[in-house]
Amino acid sequence: MSAEHTASAPAGPPWRLALGRSLGRGRKFLWFLLINILPLYVASDLLVSSGALAKISGFLEPVMSLWGLPPEAAAVLMAGMLVNLYAATAVAAPLALSWQQISVLGLILGIAHSLIMEAVVVRQLTPRYHALTLLRIVLGLGAGWLLALVLC
Amino acid sequence: MLPGAALKGLVLCAELALVVLPLIVGYEMAKAYGVFERPWKRLRPALAVIGLGPGGLVPLLAGVFLGLLYGAGILVSVSREEGLADSERLALAVFLVTCHAVVEDTALFVILGGSAFWILAPRLVMALGLTAWLARRGRSRL
Repeated sequence: MSAEHTASAPAGPPWRLALGRSLGRGRKFLWFLLINILPLYVASDLLVSSGALAKISGFLEPVMSLWGLPPEAAAVLMAGMLVNLYAATAVAAPLALSWQQISVLGLILGIAHSLIMEAVVVRQLTPRYHALTLLRIVLGLGAGWLLALVLC
Repeated sequence: MLPGAALKGLVLCAELALVVLPLIVGYEMAKAYGVFERPWKRLRPALAVIGLGPGGLVPLLAGVFLGLLYGAGILVSVSREEGLADSERLALAVFLVTCHAVVEDTALFVILGGSAFWILAPRLVMALGLTAWLARRGRSRL
């Protein structure tokens, strides 16, 4: 990735170069959606509509109610924290959530997502990446709890 | 049940693509024209408050707009080139883990019906508050 930044003197106007790169990245992104996000959505939709997810996650209700969320939303948090926000979106979409609940999830996961992948980048900045990953989880859950108190 | 789910999934993917594809073009254009690499002198006093020198601006902007993963190239290489102090690297890391990729991350939950304000504003406030607190603590120790 750093090579991409330093090698910035190729031929052609900058916009053409940018457009070329966007096409490449855009195509990769569309494949990512079709290959990863679509199947994840379908799986989540089937688990939700069959009631299986509710059954599996039922025991989490006392915990998840702290954030004003249904127990199924625990799967959204896991997908977001361990994979990425697109995965979280795919798992969350089939659940019938209110705008307040989506906002709470968006705030928690906006702060604490892709924890493993992003820790690799943070590690390049500071050796205290473990502490910062913990900080993200604590801040995210704390902020989400406060937001749930404000909105619900 | 399955075809219905697949159809709804395709609609979600189309919505994500409609939002993210223009963002990708925008990011690449901004990178190609060096938007994140301008000095933006007026921001320097604000940078000092959160414990960053002028060299911290480019990595900060790259992280805030492009994100940690996509902005990693600029973020890591520039912080090395600029020789950022350890305290600046920590400030950068604390700010960015709390608040990065602000457009894309917020847009994903707005697509699902969330409130952009409540998703973004608390992150910004926390990132600014934490880094400003760290910077003050650092100064009082000297």
